[in-house]
Amino acid sequence: MATLNIGADDLVDNPTPRVPVSLCLDTSTSMAGSPIAELVRGVNLFYEAIDEDDDAHDSAEINIVEFNSSAGLVHDFASIERLPRISSLTADGLTAMAAGVNLALDTLEKRKATYSGSGVLYYQPWLVLMTDGAPTDNIEIAVKRVVDLVETKKLTVFPIGIGSRADMNTLARFSPNRPPLRLDGLKFKEFFEWLSKSVARVSRSTPGDTVKLDLEGLEGWAEL
Amino acid sequence: MSLDIQLLDPVEFLQPNRRLFIDTNIFMDPDTRRAGGLKRLFERGQDAILKNGNPIVVPTKVIGELTKQSRRDPAREAEERTKVAIKKAGASLRFLEDASKHGLVRKNLGDESNPYADDLFLRIFERFASTYEMCLLTRDITIKLRIRLLAHELDRRLLTGVLTKDGDVEIESDQSLINRGVRKYNLHASNVAEGNGNQRDKSEVAALGPLLQQFRKAFGVQESDDKVGSTAAKLTAPQGLSVGSPKAKPFSSAAAIKPRDTPLTVSSLPVEGDQVRWESASKCGTFVLGSLLGRGGEGSVYEGGGNTVVKIFDKDHITQHRKAKVELLVISGLQAKGLCIPSATVHNAAGEFVGYVMPTASGREARTIFNIRKLEKDFPTWKKSDLVDICISFLKKVEYLHSMNVILGDINPKNLMIDDRKNVFIIDADSWQLEGYPCPVGTPMYTSPAMLGKTYAEDLRTMEDELFAVATMLFQIVMTGQFPYMRTGTDGDMVQLIREGNFAFQISIRGKEYNDRDQPDGDWKYIWSHIHKPVKNLFWDTFHKEGKRYNRRPTATEWLEAFKAYRAYLGNKRLNFDPMSNDVRPIRNKAFKPDTPIEDCSTCGRKHAIAGFMPEGETEYIVPRQCNKCRGPSATGAGQARSRRPPSEPSRGPVATATGKTRVSALAKHYGITSKQALEKLSALGEYAKTASSSVGPDVVNRFEAAYGANLRAARRQRANTLDPSKLCTRCRNPFITYGNVEWHQREGKPVPTTHKAGPGGAYPPDCVPRSSQPRRSTSQRSSTTGNNPATKSTQKSQKPQKQQQKKKKKGFWSWLFG
Repeated sequence: MATLNIGADDLVDNPTPRVPVSLCLDTSTSMAGSPIAELVRGVNLFYEAIDEDDDAHDSAEINIVEFNSSAGLVHDFASIERLPRISSLTADGLTAMAAGVNLALDTLEKRKATYSGSGVLYYQPWLVLMTDGAPTDNIEIAVKRVVDLVETKKLTVFPIGIGSRADMNTLARFSPNRPPLRLDGLKFKEFFEWLSKSVARVSRSTPGDTVKLDLEGLEGWAEL
Repeated sequence: MSLDIQLLDPVEFLQPNRRLFIDTNIFMDPDTRRAGGLKRLFERGQDAILKNGNPIVVPTKVIGELTKQSRRDPAREAEERTKVAIKKAGASLRFLEDASKHGLVRKNLGDESNPYADDLFLRIFERFASTYEMCLLTRDITIKLRIRLLAHELDRRLLTGVLTKDGDVEIESDQSLINRGVRKYNLHASNVAEGNGNQRDKSEVAALGPLLQQFRKAFGVQESDDKVGSTAAKLTAPQGLSVGSPKAKPFSSAAAIKPRDTPLTVSSLPVEGDQVRWESASKCGTFVLGSLLGRGGEGSVYEGGGNTVVKIFDKDHITQHRKAKVELLVISGLQAKGLCIPSATVHNAAGEFVGYVMPTASGREARTIFNIRKLEKDFPTWKKSDLVDICISFLKKVEYLHSMNVILGDINPKNLMIDDRKNVFIIDADSWQLEGYPCPVGTPMYTSPAMLGKTYAEDLRTMEDELFAVATMLFQIVMTGQFPYMRTGTDGDMVQLIREGNFAFQISIRGKEYNDRDQPDGDWKYIWSHIHKPVKNLFWDTFHKEGKRYNRRPTATEWLEAFKAYRAYLGNKRLNFDPMSNDVRPIRNKAFKPDTPIEDCSTCGRKHAIAGFMPEGETEYIVPRQCNKCRGPSATGAGQARSRRPPSEPSRGPVATATGKTRVSALAKHYGITSKQALEKLSALGEYAKTASSSVGPDVVNRFEAAYGANLRAARRQRANTLDPSKLCTRCRNPFITYGNVEWHQREGKPVPTTHKAGPGGAYPPDCVPRSSQPRRSTSQRSSTTGNNPATKSTQKSQKPQKQQQKKKKKGFWSWLFG
């Protein structure tokens, strides 16, 4: 679990407002096999797409939190140029979703504090929560944190269910504003393409603007 | 009328940080209304002069001119006026000689190398503008104009005026100066035009022409014929006609808001290859839509004929307001290079309004230059002056539109395009606000505090709202994308930042320091520090809630003049002495003075990366060994750690934060001790270094600094500030120079001074009283003081004029003054 040391120059010399995106991914045993492989492929595609987009390139900062029997940071926030491509994730263990969400929220808070301390504008962060099952830990606190942030417009959440056993009711609790979406089969690629476009859209806006998400584009990957 | 002239107490300019100068023509003033003014000036000023050791300066050049005049033979002159002038010059010289002996006048400034005294004054004012506030007494309108302009350019208090009979200084308004300047110009110009012009007429015309033009621009004034007219500065008429079409008539300036916008039904939208009908102000016809060039949030853009493109709105963006606005713009005849104004409406087969034809914009979105990496990639050769050119190009268009009562409304970097030749194109004309049709869109970053929270589509923007967006855009262009209200310690809520009006960039303005510690990290503070001061002031006044222009923002015309002056400043090597000021992204603070040492960084090799700084109370520059970046994280401010040190306060220990190895000799030099002492101290720290050329690592340097830094600096400062008892001032015969100063002169290979330092204004310190000289007003004591010449010439030389002086004393101007 590498933690990148992010250069201060990189952070402050670029006045482009940032979009911190935390990918909070389920790597429990049930993800083993093609789901985890497709997920890794999807994440790398996401990185490529961000890298290629003129605007998202300068705005997006991404980290990955994984959760299985516990939660861990796969890599911390960095601009796309500094991000390592992930080679693999290991699917093994339970589904400590609450721990994962809490860690993701903690890292987002920390990142925001860094922006604030350096004088860098930012958009309110995004949390992408992906699971194929149900939490094995107590989610109450995590749910409350997320709901509070979403309701004060300090967080945008994308809860995504993978496969038929994903607990959509739990995911719904993490998303007070819009229903969670279930991935159509293993269309990670389509999802991450959509996500990168959405990030690009935001980065073309000005902080404070309300950005409409491309809801039509959801059709490409979500079971509606 | 009272505002045409301001009276100033001359004593103000006899204070230690100020200087007062007198030009030749004041002594020669024939105007009886001002008679006695000089006498009163000296009566009123003498206490302050002596107390502050700050004599009034009458440069050598002026003395020379008076001397030349006095040597003419009155008998040979026919005109009574000339005879009087010769006498006057002689009397003035006697007066000056005497006054100088009393320490009231300094006349040894400057030499004969300057052909004209005017030139000399200008040079002095340029050179010392950052050191003193200065006032020149002169009647010459040309020099008055020049110095007023200089004061404006440098944002310093530099005044000119004449004396009233009470000895007050009369300062003219900008309006009065331009009026008189133009009169003088006309006088000489008519001589030239009538064929009677001599050399002087010609040179005055050549000098005054451009000068007056510059003056009009800088101060936004035009000469007025009515001498009793308003003295308020009149803004120049918008120069729209120079960019725009002369045919166009402005829109209404006070239209009430139109009823809410309503959608129009459209049966079908034309696409590539469809035939459409167009209608301009006077003609109509059909054409086939060219290929699709792009899609935006409101519609699609197709290739049109020639140099045009066609915007076809999406169905939900075809509204009554849009149609009305586009039609108004089409028939208005408004057109100007760089403005993508509708030239014809476009209708589908059913005759319904679907879009418009406009000129093609070229270049890149302005966002490109808001991102340093893109800027350096796409325009690698650009300098700051190129960014200033872009501001000027943008402002010319905005000024024109404002003169036509068009408010752009949604000014943002997506609506500006910039081509390789720095031309700005403004697009999205259909969103502009005109004739009561609001601009329905907006961007929070460019939204004024008053407009925040309102609905763009339902409120008319005011000119003040618009000027907020203009100012923000300009700031971002020169600051390569930074947002004016960015600061540390925010939660990124832009709306809140705009509302608060906490402009965090540091400034010293009107004598007040604003050292906001929340300046954003990174090079932003350096970029800010190099911006031309008048522009900086205008930004600060506009954005800071305590600023003078916070509620009355600068107009496009004002900004245009300010940016033109910025451009001129960058091209003027004499005024713009710091080679880094024209960099797109300076990496250190601007050098204070022309003589500030500037060096490349030996570690990273960046050019001009190091500027010396002079800590308060010291007389020499300290030149850091490395640039801010190479000096380590504390200098640039790490992302995590919030830098608390105000950046205007230079780092005290250039060696202490070095990242590389440091030689013992360099360490010793930095702390002002011998290498041997440094080696001893190192060994006391448990560090073994063999010789002066041994090197120690940064950690050792840091420990050295922690252990001894403060003490060594204090000791060094103390010695440097101690007077060297072996050196006596040849003027007052007292110790006058510190060890530090002596060493500095020796190091620099300069002769060590022999007297107290007299500033450029001729100020000797108050305690440097020429020995046995006790200036008093009584005549008897004065006669005994003539034996001491403040200058360091041989006694023999100074004897001769004194004898003459004593002989003529009765007739002397001095006696006349105080007798």
